[in-house]
Amino acid sequence: MKINLDTEVLTDNNAAAKFNRDLFTKHKTLVVNLMSSPGAGKTTLLEKTIAALGKEYSIGVIEGDLATEKDADRIRALGAKAVQINTNGGCHLDARMIAKVIDEFDLEKTDILFIENVGNLVCPSGYDLGQNHKVAILSVPEGNDKIPKYPVMFRRTELVVLNKIDLLPYLDFDVDMAIEDLKGINPESKLIRLSSKTEEGLDEWLTWIKEAYRNLQEQ
Amino acid sequence: MHEMALRGDILQLVENDARSRNFKQVDKVELIVGDLSNAMPDALEMAFDVFRARGLGMLSEGAQLVIHKEAARSKCVICGHEYTPDRRLSICPECALPSGRLIAGETFKVQSYEGS
Ligand SMILES: Nc1nc2c(ncn2[C@@H]2O[C@H](COP(=O)(O)OP(=O)(O)OP(=O)(O)O)[C@@H](O)[C@H]2O)c(=O)[nH]1
Ligand SMILES: [Mg+2]
Ligand SMILES: [Zn+2]
Repeated sequence: MKINLDTEVLTDNNAAAKFNRDLFTKHKTLVVNLMSSPGAGKTTLLEKTIAALGKEYSIGVIEGDLATEKDADRIRALGAKAVQINTNGGCHLDARMIAKVIDEFDLEKTDILFIENVGNLVCPSGYDLGQNHKVAILSVPEGNDKIPKYPVMFRRTELVVLNKIDLLPYLDFDVDMAIEDLKGINPESKLIRLSSKTEEGLDEWLTWIKEAYRNLQEQ
Repeated sequence: MHEMALRGDILQLVENDARSRNFKQVDKVELIVGDLSNAMPDALEMAFDVFRARGLGMLSEGAQLVIHKEAARSKCVICGHEYTPDRRLSICPECALPSGRLIAGETFKVQSYEGS
């Protein structure tokens, strides 16, 4: 007998994501899912963000990593609450993993929760975690071709942080081309140029976060 | 990449439904996999081969996997033109504007299965 299931493969994940989202919404916690290749600068940007906003906002971080606690330790060193999820080789975080650690945060007192996904430009893009915003970080040394090469990631994120722009003078990364490619793949997406090293462009990112937070509180 | 995990999701959907109908076996599982779904048909096939070799005693262990690929298609919101997108998939080739919206290619579904 043929049974027409006609069901999304990620049905379970999407149900868990809804569970997470309902909790986050109830507490008006802004949740940002940060995705990038390994080493593009997710943790460094989070360090800078916490240093700049940590007094004004209560910030929590969920760190996704293949094996270590290293990134969570970097966040804790700045006095923010960080919970590490080790995927034991898994290439992405899924909504169930997030659901399992949500209780470790006092959401009522958490204004902003950042989720640093596992470094990977492919797999994390498919999984809704229940976040308000998905952000991709692309770094200058990765080269120009990443946006057209990984269209799924850039279609499903609403903001691209182009990090390590301090390296632009040494590499032939064409920023205008990246912006054109991005527009061609996802016309709604925005790009912020930034260096976590020199902090050029950091203000624009911080403004984006604050606006997202304000919009959420007004809903 | 994560086709092993996806295989787990697919099998769980099928097994749960098959058990609820008191089926004793599943003979075939049909998927729709879009070009822009991030799931790779070849890797899925391989993940299922590994699963069969393991012999876990699941209903779908002997099931044949059939993958229907869904090609990417875009449609322009300005002129209505439908086209097969290239790298810049939102650019309508008629209008040369980012006015194209994907209408197919992102699906990743279990379409059906055969059980008895
Ligand atoms: N030149 C330069 N280096 C940077 C910048 N941002 C980060 N880095 C360096 O890039 C390296 C990787 O940064 P991380 O922040 O650990 O990157 P990540 O994305 O968290 O890496 P994974 O968690 O391993 O995927 C570190 O050596 C950083 O110091 C930047 O804006 N400019
Ligand atoms: Mg990191
Ligand atoms: Zn058109």
